[in-house]
Amino acid sequence: MQAKTTILSLPTEEFVHPGTRACTGCGLAIAYRVGLKALGKDTILVVPPSCLTVLQGLFPIASTKLACLNVTFASTAAAASGILATLKVQGEDNIKVAAWAGDGGTSDIGLQALSGAAERGENFIYLCYDNEGYMNTGAQRSGTTPIGAVTANTPFKGKLQQKKDVPAIMAAHNLSYVAECSAAYPLDLFDKIRKCMDMPGTKYFHIHTPCPPGWGYDPRYGIKIGRLAVETGYYDLYEIVNGEFKLTAASEKLVEKRKLIPVREYFRSQSRFRILTDAQIAVIQNQIDAKWANYYKKDE
Amino acid sequence: MHIIENGNVAAALGVKLCHANVIAAYPITPQTPLTEKLSEYVEAGEMKAEYIPVESEHSALAVCIAASSAGARSFTATSANGLLYMHEQVHWAAGARLPIVMCVVNRAVGAPWNVWNDQQDSISQRDTGWIQMYCCDHQQIIDSVIKAYWLAEKVSIPIMVCYDGYILSHTYMPFDVPDQEKVDAFLPPFRPDYALNTEEPANLNTVTLPDVRMDIKGEIAHGYMEIRYLLHEEMRTALTVAAEAEKRFADIFGRGGDPYVEPYLCDDAEYVAVGLGSLTYQLRVAIDTLRKEGIRVGVMGVRFYRPFPDVAVANALKGKKGVIVYEKALSYGYEGALASDLKSALYEHLAGTGTLPFVQNFIAGIGGRDIRTDDLTQSLRAATKSRVSKEPVWIGLKL
Amino acid sequence: MCWLFCPDVVISRTIPPKIDLEYCKGCGICAEECPTKAITMVDEAGFSEEDKDKE
Repeated sequence: MQAKTTILSLPTEEFVHPGTRACTGCGLAIAYRVGLKALGKDTILVVPPSCLTVLQGLFPIASTKLACLNVTFASTAAAASGILATLKVQGEDNIKVAAWAGDGGTSDIGLQALSGAAERGENFIYLCYDNEGYMNTGAQRSGTTPIGAVTANTPFKGKLQQKKDVPAIMAAHNLSYVAECSAAYPLDLFDKIRKCMDMPGTKYFHIHTPCPPGWGYDPRYGIKIGRLAVETGYYDLYEIVNGEFKLTAASEKLVEKRKLIPVREYFRSQSRFRILTDAQIAVIQNQIDAKWANYYKKDE
Repeated sequence: MHIIENGNVAAALGVKLCHANVIAAYPITPQTPLTEKLSEYVEAGEMKAEYIPVESEHSALAVCIAASSAGARSFTATSANGLLYMHEQVHWAAGARLPIVMCVVNRAVGAPWNVWNDQQDSISQRDTGWIQMYCCDHQQIIDSVIKAYWLAEKVSIPIMVCYDGYILSHTYMPFDVPDQEKVDAFLPPFRPDYALNTEEPANLNTVTLPDVRMDIKGEIAHGYMEIRYLLHEEMRTALTVAAEAEKRFADIFGRGGDPYVEPYLCDDAEYVAVGLGSLTYQLRVAIDTLRKEGIRVGVMGVRFYRPFPDVAVANALKGKKGVIVYEKALSYGYEGALASDLKSALYEHLAGTGTLPFVQNFIAGIGGRDIRTDDLTQSLRAATKSRVSKEPVWIGLKL
Repeated sequence: MCWLFCPDVVISRTIPPKIDLEYCKGCGICAEECPTKAITMVDEAGFSEEDKDKE
């Protein structure tokens, strides 16, 4: 059993310069910084249009210290495949390829290429940072925006549809590794990346990423809100290793604790959920309770 | 070595001889047999390449763009709607200055659906910054693929090698397959100035602003406008480099000619028919017929559509009475794209000199409508009597 | 904790932590997450040029 990384054992080398163009309190900046520590310097990154594109800065200056290819919106996973092919013909065995894309670029416009790459068994890590909307362009709804969220193009009724479960879609591709993580639990993210790096085929990461302007909260509460998502049982930290599902970190502890914070606290912490009625929240609470009843049963 | 094979195989052999090492493939009629052939070469070990059967054409070019950025010699092929699906990437590859070679097996575009030949697909990509070469027979197909890699890698501009679907892709012709040693002498391995790597990491194709910015050394770096200007400038210079390619090729392989135009009986012609691709060879039959009637007419194929060889074309047509442009595509709402470009070149170089011919535009073969040589002969004969119409005239229309 | 959660890589992993105020965006996550409440956010407007360097 691999020892869990702690703050003291986390590598100190940084792969991002300060002075990125991310928003104040950006959740992605945290996830990205720790994620790159896990990936290390022998990595080539692929990035589609997204908050990350902006975070990395404007030509001719970039804040990321690693090699990175910016690509078109729909083509992230295909571009990763192209780099992998080249590394193979060049005989470069030690260079990893990691794609970082937003939820829009993954669950919507990028899904086709991702599915194709996963089906072909392309050997790279795909990390989707899910800030639950097209935040870079002003917070429009995406496939992973949760139901009820007010966004720039669901301004009065909120999103009417359920959040798309992308990890489940990816798990259906028989991948060696699928993980759900959160920017609020960076050490869990670090360990999972390190764990799966040498596994074959496409490894898929879905990272819950709090976004102050998009979600509507004071930036200082970003980590608290990320934690609340997990501690209410609304969003779970897990991994699926060769088809076997397992809760991890704080979510795993919740199975022992058998006590979830009511999800209304999570919704009331962000202004984007302001139009959710008590009745709607009750429905969601029931869904969460049912999901966790299942987890508890499996644990017995 | 002389063989008899179809145009798709000719193209595939060209790609094999050039040692392309990353191939992206997505099926679309009538290109499919080309990439199927490449899969045979790869799986049989005759090509040391990674073959990626992608899930869409947009991804096919994405693979090539990424592979080329990392230093591989990449290839893909497509037609019609496949080319249109990757249109965003077509612009991208040119802007990123990547020497990708792509075969476009010309086919009509939807809507409505049509799998037969016309040239709307590649013509519609005219303004993307790709070099476009048009082939008239299988020898030109295999030779153009080889020349294209050399030219593309010299000028860092991607190249579309276009040939007519079915008419060339699926028909059988004898042609010479060059010796591997000669190809290796002509085309050295791909050595880009920069390829993505972890020792000297770089962030490629980041966001640019309208104005120029300073880099970390305190020097002003090129802005978007400068980058795009250079693409255009270097495309114009590519005309000269293309002539160099043609000469080098002729020196090593013993065949070649004018890099820009392929004339037939044009020297003493009063009227010249102009076109792109195999249609110009079919027009030679019409030319022969009309010559027997005493009409001094010739036909000229244009080999590079972009960059447009305006000087070569204007020189070839200077002093002719009329130029009759036959096209299998058009810019809807106005006229054939080749006719427009030709008019602009003739005006630019010949206006006011008394040597400006009229330009007659005929549209034929749209959606693979059979182009009867008789129709070519009749239309050409009519045009040599007087300009038929200032609007493009559609041949073979059955309203 | 502050070092771990800083989105802008401006805090050192030392005790006490050193914060690069040139690049700090003032999000306040460090202050919020500190288990001993050792960091306080102060509005930039309240500082003169010299005071900033003293922090």
